[in-house]
Amino acid sequence: MTQPFPPPGFIRVESAIPGIVVYAPAPEEDEAQPAIVEFKCPQCQATTAYSVVDGGLRCAHCGYYEPPARAIVGKGAQGFEFTVETLSIASQAHGWGETRQELQCQNCNARATLPPGRLTHTCPFCGSNRVLQQAAPQDALRPRFLIPFKIEANACRPIAENWLSSSWMTPKSLKQSTVAGFMGIYLPYWTFDTVTLAEWKAEVGHQETRRRYNSATKSWESHTVTVWRWESGRVRKFFDDLLVSGTAKLSRVLLTQLQNYDTHALVAYEPQYLAGFLAQAYDVPLEKAWEEGREAMRAATRKACRDQASTSQIRNFSMALDFSEESWRYVLAPLYLAVYRYNGQPYQVMINGQTGAIAGQRPVDWNKVWLAVGASVAPGALLSLIGLLGIVLGALLPPTLAVGMVLLALGVVLLIAGGVIAFNIINKARRMGDA
Amino acid sequence: MLELWETEVVVAVCPHCDWRYVVPTEKATLRCPHCFAADLEPVVDDVEQLPYLRPPELVTPFTVTKAVADKRIEEFADGIPFAPRDLNPETLRSRVQRLYLPMWLVDSDVMATWGAEVGFDYNVVSHRERYSDGSGWDTQQVQETRIRWEARVGQLERHYDNVVAPALEQHAAMEQALGAYALDVAQPYAAGDLARALARLPDRAPEAAWADAAPTLQAAAGEECRQAASADHIRQFRWSPTYTGQHWTLLLLPLYATYYLDDDAEPRPVLINGQSGRVFGVRRASMQRAQHTALIIVAIAAVLFLLSLVAGVAGLAAPPLLVVGGIGGVLALCVGLGGIIPIFRAWQFNRKPVETL
Repeated sequence: MTQPFPPPGFIRVESAIPGIVVYAPAPEEDEAQPAIVEFKCPQCQATTAYSVVDGGLRCAHCGYYEPPARAIVGKGAQGFEFTVETLSIASQAHGWGETRQELQCQNCNARATLPPGRLTHTCPFCGSNRVLQQAAPQDALRPRFLIPFKIEANACRPIAENWLSSSWMTPKSLKQSTVAGFMGIYLPYWTFDTVTLAEWKAEVGHQETRRRYNSATKSWESHTVTVWRWESGRVRKFFDDLLVSGTAKLSRVLLTQLQNYDTHALVAYEPQYLAGFLAQAYDVPLEKAWEEGREAMRAATRKACRDQASTSQIRNFSMALDFSEESWRYVLAPLYLAVYRYNGQPYQVMINGQTGAIAGQRPVDWNKVWLAVGASVAPGALLSLIGLLGIVLGALLPPTLAVGMVLLALGVVLLIAGGVIAFNIINKARRMGDA
Repeated sequence: MLELWETEVVVAVCPHCDWRYVVPTEKATLRCPHCFAADLEPVVDDVEQLPYLRPPELVTPFTVTKAVADKRIEEFADGIPFAPRDLNPETLRSRVQRLYLPMWLVDSDVMATWGAEVGFDYNVVSHRERYSDGSGWDTQQVQETRIRWEARVGQLERHYDNVVAPALEQHAAMEQALGAYALDVAQPYAAGDLARALARLPDRAPEAAWADAAPTLQAAAGEECRQAASADHIRQFRWSPTYTGQHWTLLLLPLYATYYLDDDAEPRPVLINGQSGRVFGVRRASMQRAQHTALIIVAIAAVLFLLSLVAGVAGLAAPPLLVVGGIGGVLALCVGLGGIIPIFRAWQFNRKPVETL
């Protein structure tokens, strides 16, 4: 049986030589998607939104359900190379949503203006959901994969309340505060895969005990010396889906605490996933994010090299590092955002929409903190004082001299330990307030 | 058929290697320019029965002049330690013959369906970094060229001209020895081309040569398909061709041939590409000459030793002669040991790998 020519899936393309006909595989075309997708129930015309529980579109009015069209791709999600062309385009453009846009709601005719980078819109007047799908300057530079929400918005409140009451440093009255109005948002992330190949060399110190004869005391004495020897090695380290935030609009400190996304759950982008949520396009360009990612990778590789050394005493360390098999993806990751007020001050809370991990700002009750600091250093200070008193009294009452010296020594040790604890408490409190 | 050559020629054969030539009548008894082991013998009987007697359509002319060829011969003969007596520029020059080797060219129309993987170059940005405790990180951005491979299929309807096909069994070996010829300078055959040269007759029929032409044709088609697809590379090219309108052309390629006799009086050919001037031949030192030189040195050493011995004996009576005898003895030993040098040099020179046709 003869095979058909050209084979199925091939289309004729331009040939540079007459007399030769060339067929190439037809390019994989994504379904043509309208610039704005509006989500309406086909049964009752009410607004539909993505349901975290069902994992598809759900009409809250009549219960209509529409499953997502695409399956989980996970780690198999297509990666892209750092081509010169892509980097050039990515440095000039910022993905979707370059300019501020004006939208007119087709449901209630209300007009709304959207800031640059916003990918979704919910009409504040009638509640209808829209996803904006503008052409990206390059196919790879539009969100092609995302991690869907796994945590329901309703679950955020108890998580936040537990979190608020989980620290003794916060004011007591904070436990009565309520964090409401969690807003689901898809944040842009760059993921990077790379293999780093490093060759290192360094002088590594080894402790050696040596004996020598002391002519003054006429005896053998042992002493420890550090012997430096050159060592070298090779490290090959694979980085899989290193996440770097694609937005600079949220606290980098908080985002880093929530970055434990599981990329096995990546799905191919479908506008349905975004229905009812906010979504933001990247504002940190690829090259800048890659620079940040490389910094993390080289620090990790450097650590792996140093860990290879036979001891931790290292000097004159140098290494040559090659990056290879670099690839990247532009993905959207789920996050809940909320702001609560305490004593008139706004505080931000974020919850990872996939894992439920929480991070945020909490007010610090500094009275409690200073009390704790005082309690940490007080025993040491008190003992030291008593010890000193004992030493002074020792002039009159000799037996108290020895007791005083012991107490002073104990007091100094406790004072140092208390100082360390106090330092940690203050640092933690400062971090909590600054986050 | 011979009258078609438009000049007075005869067919001659070498009784030693059986190569057949068309030679000008007056040169019918020349030494065979292939094996140089025997003189050619004119073929008298049934000449017309011999295959491929027709004259060539094209001739690649000699662009290397006799003067240039002589210079190449001088360079060839130069720098050989203890060269065989016969290996000298004068002898080689005196034996030079002009020779043409035959080659088939085939034209063909081809219709085919084809498939291949074509590659497109693209550049990616990567990084190399260096770190040292003193100076921190030093980052270097590098660009790497990678190839993206894609499938292509197609149809081809093309005409190919002058696809090379060997007319001699030894063609590949000759080409390796003398290098490729530029065929675009070939000119139509003229009677004068054979005035001072011999022409080797083909020993391969076009049908047999086609087996070699087809892969060349496929390679040419593959290259054209790469260009048609505007690709930078092509691999795994496969096709199902149908050939029509084949036309065969006989082409002559020029070379100079000469020889020298080695230690065993065996002729060693020296060939010069008549177009590029590339020389092929075996350069060997003569072990016989090296041994003769060594013997002379040893003889001198023996004489010196005898004189030292006499001086030594005389030294018993006149003691100063004892010193002369001692020095003479050492000198004789040194000269005697030097006798090994010629043999060693010749042996070392002959260790170089030898290419043969």
